[in-house]
Amino acid sequence: MFFKLTPTTGQPLYLQLMQQIRHAVETGALRDGEQLPGIRTLAEELVVSPNTVAKAYSELEHEGLLEMRHGSGAFVCVKRRTRSLADQVQIARRRLRDLIERLREDGLLDEEIRRAFEAELLYPAEIVRKR
Amino acid sequence: MTDEAVILTQALTKTYRNAEAVRALNLSVGRNRITAFLGRNGAGKSTTIKMLLGMLRPTSGSGSVLGWEITNAKENCELRRRVAYVAEDKPLYGYMTVEQTIRFVSSFYPDWRKDVEKKLFKDYELPPERKVKTLSKGMRTKLALLLAFARRPNLLILDEPSEGLDPVGIEQLLQTLVAQSAEGVSIFFSSHQIGEVERIADQVCILEKGCLLVDASLDNLRQFYRRIDLVFPSAPPEGEFRIAGVERIQAASNRLSVFASKNAEAVIERAHDLNAVSVEVAPVGLRDIFLETVKER
Amino acid sequence: MLWYKAWLETRSRFLISLATLTLFSAIFVQHAQGLLRPEWKSDFNRLLFVNQQFLVIMWVLSVVLLGMGGIVRERAIGISSLTLALPVSRQRLVGTRVGVGVLEATILGVVPWIAVFFVSFFARKPISIIQVASYVLLLLGGGLVYFALAVLVSSLVSGEYSAPAVAFGIVLLAAMLFDAWLRQFNVWRLVTGDLSINRSTYLLSEHLPWLGILCSISVALSMVVASMIVVQRRQF
Repeated sequence: MFFKLTPTTGQPLYLQLMQQIRHAVETGALRDGEQLPGIRTLAEELVVSPNTVAKAYSELEHEGLLEMRHGSGAFVCVKRRTRSLADQVQIARRRLRDLIERLREDGLLDEEIRRAFEAELLYPAEIVRKR
Repeated sequence: MTDEAVILTQALTKTYRNAEAVRALNLSVGRNRITAFLGRNGAGKSTTIKMLLGMLRPTSGSGSVLGWEITNAKENCELRRRVAYVAEDKPLYGYMTVEQTIRFVSSFYPDWRKDVEKKLFKDYELPPERKVKTLSKGMRTKLALLLAFARRPNLLILDEPSEGLDPVGIEQLLQTLVAQSAEGVSIFFSSHQIGEVERIADQVCILEKGCLLVDASLDNLRQFYRRIDLVFPSAPPEGEFRIAGVERIQAASNRLSVFASKNAEAVIERAHDLNAVSVEVAPVGLRDIFLETVKER
Repeated sequence: MLWYKAWLETRSRFLISLATLTLFSAIFVQHAQGLLRPEWKSDFNRLLFVNQQFLVIMWVLSVVLLGMGGIVRERAIGISSLTLALPVSRQRLVGTRVGVGVLEATILGVVPWIAVFFVSFFARKPISIIQVASYVLLLLGGGLVYFALAVLVSSLVSGEYSAPAVAFGIVLLAAMLFDAWLRQFNVWRLVTGDLSINRSTYLLSEHLPWLGILCSISVALSMVVASMIVVQRRQF
């Protein structure tokens, strides 16, 4: 498994791992029914706390993406709903790609674009509605 | 059983002639987690650990490790049977050979694991017949670590474990710590290597001048600590930003740099209300969190 | 394995002392016959008495050095954290050290005299085993207090060199003080046999100073207990 967790970004490691697993499922790198490495194995490979891996697996199981079979480990379980979610993400990414291209044409640097996204994402939905 | 703490202290204090090394410390280290203990030199980390293991007597306050009272000599002896400790200076008996040292230490612990001992012995490439006083610093560190890892303790306490190790050794150490944690060992370690801590720790405790300033999960620290850089059309209204969660504000001409441990959204909202020209938010790495926290207020 | 550790720590000192004391006693008794004056009555017995004088000096020196070490010294050289982290009580740490030391001190007292016994046997001047046993008993019964003193000093004084210096200092001081004011109670005289020697036959009397030995052992025991208390209360 080729996951890369970055401790220095503002995102908890378990969330990063969840995203990367989801991404792997969306792009087909992980197929339905495929088994993920055990918690200990993946933790040792990535050199992160086993609690991080455990939490990621647990949350993904909660979302329905993974199925934890007692004794055997974690298995990918792509449901119909997740499949359409994967399609939505594909569409969203295309839109983002266009937007980012336009912002670059406007002269913004990638770092500035990233920080602007961060700031806007932190803006809670209620406040947007208030304005 | 509720979420038990493997280490619990209540107002633990250690006062030397005219200085307080540890002040009313309320430490709670969770079971089955990797907890990092950060602090400057002299902040009281080693003093705290020594009190937990019965080497120093607290001036006041109490504590327990794995449920055993630390100030009771008999109970402290019991807890030491289930705790593996590697001191900062990696103490070893110079006159013993590597093999004698391993045989000596292993005789005290029924939970000694010969298979792990053999594996680590091979990985660390330790020379069995050499006397410890002739070993290099790196070898001594590895031997000291082996003595702790070849057991199945409930709790592993390490004081600066990576000191004396080269990058390969450090990577091996982190992998071993992760493997131990996966087997259910609770880990409590102090380190100056913020990079290592950021990779494997679940919980971070920051000690400064004997006081516990931060005790939070690394996930929360990553999620909530933010640096917000603001640019205003005129003199920045510093006072407006002293809200809950803001730890420090630096002002310069028409700019403000706000360091917040939580509530970044409130800061951004206030900034927008005050017509900030530019609002930039960035995550804060553990090094910066540490440096900001221990700075003189 | 604490006994093994104490053995490893004292091994060199012990073996060197054993060789020195045994060789000295054997050679002294073997060759010093030439130094005897013809007018001395009971010349051989007197030789044995003189041997004990030398033996006591060397033995006390050896056991004081054997009593050095321990957890306080380990702290001075920075390795006490390892020993203190072991799941053993501090009393046990002191206890095993004392146990090994007493065994070593006993051997150091017995073996040289056995060597003398055999040397004189083969020199066709056999000595009674009772005499040998008496000398050994006086040495150990009276002398272990010096070992106990060394253990106590090593639990109070932490330097590698200052601890033995203080211990020897106290031994000398005590010898001088007792000699000046308390001659009756001078344990040195007990240990060397001075109190029990018959000056005409140079044989030790059958009535050994049991009370003195008992007092000496009691003082030794209380010093050991005191060391345990000191180590228990000490902070590392």
